[in-house]
Amino acid sequence: MKQQDSFFQKRIKPIIQHKVFTLVCLYIAMVLIFTVWAALRGTSFLKVAIFRNILNSLVVSSFLTMGAGCLLIAGHLDLSQAAIGAFGSMVLASAIKGWGLPWFLGVIIALALCAVFGALNALLVSKLHFPSFIGTLAMASMVKGLMYLFSSLGNNGIASNINFVDKTVTFIGTGAVGGIPVGVIIMLIFFIIYGLIISKSTFGMKVTLMGGSPVAATLAGINANTIMLILFINSAVMGGVAGIFNAARLSQGALNALTTNQFTGLTAAILGGISFGGGVGGMGGAFVGLLILNTFQIGMGIVGVNPFWVNVFSGLLLLIALSFDFLAQQRQKRSLAH
Amino acid sequence: MAKTLEFRGIGKSFPGVRALDNVNFKAEGGKVLALLGENGAGKSTLLKILSGDQPASEGEILVDDKVTAFHSPHDAQAAGISVIYQERQLMPSLSVMENLFAGALPKGKLGLVDKNELYAETQKIISEFGLDIDPAEEVGRLSIANQQMVEIMKAYRRDSDIIAYDEPTAPLSEKEIELMFKVIEKQKAAGKAIIYVSHRMNEIFRITDEIVVLKDGRQVTTLQTKETSEAELIKSMVGRDIGDTYSNLRRNTPTDDVILEVRNLSTPKVKNVSFQIHKGEIVGLAGLVGAGRTEVARALFGADPITGGEILIEGKPVRFRSPREAIDAGVALCPEDRKEQGLVMYRSIADNVAMPVVNYLKKGLGFVDRGQAATLAERAVADYAIKTPTIFKLVAELSGGNQQKVILGRWTSEKVKTRLLLLDEPTKGIDVGTKAEIYQKICDLAREGIGVLFISSELTEVINLADRIYVMRGGSISGCLPRAEATEENVLTLAMADETGDAGKRKEGRA
Repeated sequence: MKQQDSFFQKRIKPIIQHKVFTLVCLYIAMVLIFTVWAALRGTSFLKVAIFRNILNSLVVSSFLTMGAGCLLIAGHLDLSQAAIGAFGSMVLASAIKGWGLPWFLGVIIALALCAVFGALNALLVSKLHFPSFIGTLAMASMVKGLMYLFSSLGNNGIASNINFVDKTVTFIGTGAVGGIPVGVIIMLIFFIIYGLIISKSTFGMKVTLMGGSPVAATLAGINANTIMLILFINSAVMGGVAGIFNAARLSQGALNALTTNQFTGLTAAILGGISFGGGVGGMGGAFVGLLILNTFQIGMGIVGVNPFWVNVFSGLLLLIALSFDFLAQQRQKRSLAH
Repeated sequence: MAKTLEFRGIGKSFPGVRALDNVNFKAEGGKVLALLGENGAGKSTLLKILSGDQPASEGEILVDDKVTAFHSPHDAQAAGISVIYQERQLMPSLSVMENLFAGALPKGKLGLVDKNELYAETQKIISEFGLDIDPAEEVGRLSIANQQMVEIMKAYRRDSDIIAYDEPTAPLSEKEIELMFKVIEKQKAAGKAIIYVSHRMNEIFRITDEIVVLKDGRQVTTLQTKETSEAELIKSMVGRDIGDTYSNLRRNTPTDDVILEVRNLSTPKVKNVSFQIHKGEIVGLAGLVGAGRTEVARALFGADPITGGEILIEGKPVRFRSPREAIDAGVALCPEDRKEQGLVMYRSIADNVAMPVVNYLKKGLGFVDRGQAATLAERAVADYAIKTPTIFKLVAELSGGNQQKVILGRWTSEKVKTRLLLLDEPTKGIDVGTKAEIYQKICDLAREGIGVLFISSELTEVINLADRIYVMRGGSISGCLPRAEATEENVLTLAMADETGDAGKRKEGRA
């Protein structure tokens, strides 16, 4: 009896108490609701093809989520991520089309440019002490302007999308291996790596400690500026990866790439339990958060809800998730108040 | 018109904790009643119930023999009760006058705030306190001590009949404490009932009439201040006789080897500071709040930039650009503000102990070696007798004393190799029993050859613990006192004297 108790305490209880467990339960409930709802409407939801679709729809946003999520754990925001990513997609397209470079060089150049913008973000926040909200908002505007200037070079001054043809890039964007889309495979590998980094590595430990209290972490020898530099560069580069996937799917570097995904990364991260104040959460939660968000949207489409309403409900979903987070924090504070 | 306040059978339960149990006492108008007890004894909980912040689980509060129920801080204020908390509740970006009169701003023409009257009324209160503060100054720009005085003036302005002070002197220097005591005397003479919470014995003996001692949520005893002694109080607080805290310490003996030498150190807030710390020596740094003591410690730790001067560690000049570099050179800092600067509150003891050595806890591929981190934390818990069921408990759930022990444990783990320990107000807000433990630990660390810089605003503590005391005033060192000459009077003279006064002569005594 006693042994069972300790087994429950040690193994089962932490799993049940974990935030991700609640999210997974929520997800399962959502799938069940859609299954029943779809059946009532005379269609079906619980099908392999639909889940492949859902996973495939996560790919572009997932990289934004990983970048934004890591940064959010450290207590910072990056509002320029989507703009930087779009610029990355334009650079890749012109590298292939205009400069005639092989695709991998295009990818390297695009990501390197993104990294530079990320480093500038870090500089604004850590050295010039702008709040990350303001610093990266300004950066978003500048990057967008630069992207338009870039795309209008040698084009009579008119900014435009750039179409390109490259078999490998198209395969990465739209191909499949053994029935599983290549993008999904890459996404899952990235999630596992990022999950391990955040929850198991010394770097991840420093990130969460810094998110918990930047002052205390700095005074205990954690170099907050270095961590911020890495995370802002990471966020921008992941924005670039998302932009590249977007370009690969459309065979086009698009000026308005990622505009619909602009806040998806952040939303999924928050939905997945990464606290807005920093210091809490991980990649597992972020993944489930993203899954919930997209399953919700696709499910709503299948049961035939007006897409405009779907946006309204997505917003409500985020509010509900945030209030759970808020209530949990309040409860924790109150129980420690004596 | 004297008011009375009575607690009758007050109890409070939190999930799994009995914070207060059957507390009964009466605070009468025209008297100061002390509430004494170790941290976690239930003083703060009792004050929160009094202020209407939290409801009592059982029992009742009587104001002037009438049962009164508070559902919010607003109810309590309407019943004439003010509680001045340790944590200041001010609006930093507003002016002193706006803070004082928030909720009762004088209205002039067109319903706008009458700034002139507001200024004049505020000036009147400031003068009554004998302070030198501009009513229009932004509160966030005031020194911490003056902010605390604003908090006290706020309660004074409300002219409440029942006033509770929760460790009001913690951030104050002697000068402000004197001013505050005068205000309390005045309030007492006006027939107000005053509840005074403090760990400082001399204050309790000085201004209180009656003492209620709490221990583990229960009322141990109620004593008349005149009829009791410090020893008796401590005994009833801790439940055992801890004797004279200082004479029972196993002392350190300073060596002749210099671990730290500071030459003409200057920062934006510190001017030409020079001093030495020897191996195995505890050097006190005394002075009024705002004299630059914290700034010296931060500069030595690489947390603030240095504008001039030299720092030598074991004879080698160093210039740290970050705390990380200081830590790698064997310097450690326990910052003044434990909760904000010392700890990541919502993380475990284990994580907080591991913070400076995360990089050394690697096993292959950069993964954290949790086993090794646990060993470090277990050792800190054992070394410092930290009261906790496991090393995975959040530090926010620990008492102040245990939190400080976690920080000390962090800096003395075998992985850090601390040679110079900078302690900034290490016993602030910590109960008597734990204080004694921390004093002994500091002596033990000095016995191991570590040099200790001990910053404290509590004079008895610096005088009794330090081998030598440097006194700071206005960003400079105004003198050095060897242990034999360290009396409260001498320290205060150096801390407050004018440039040409006694301080000039004292400078010869510098080691």
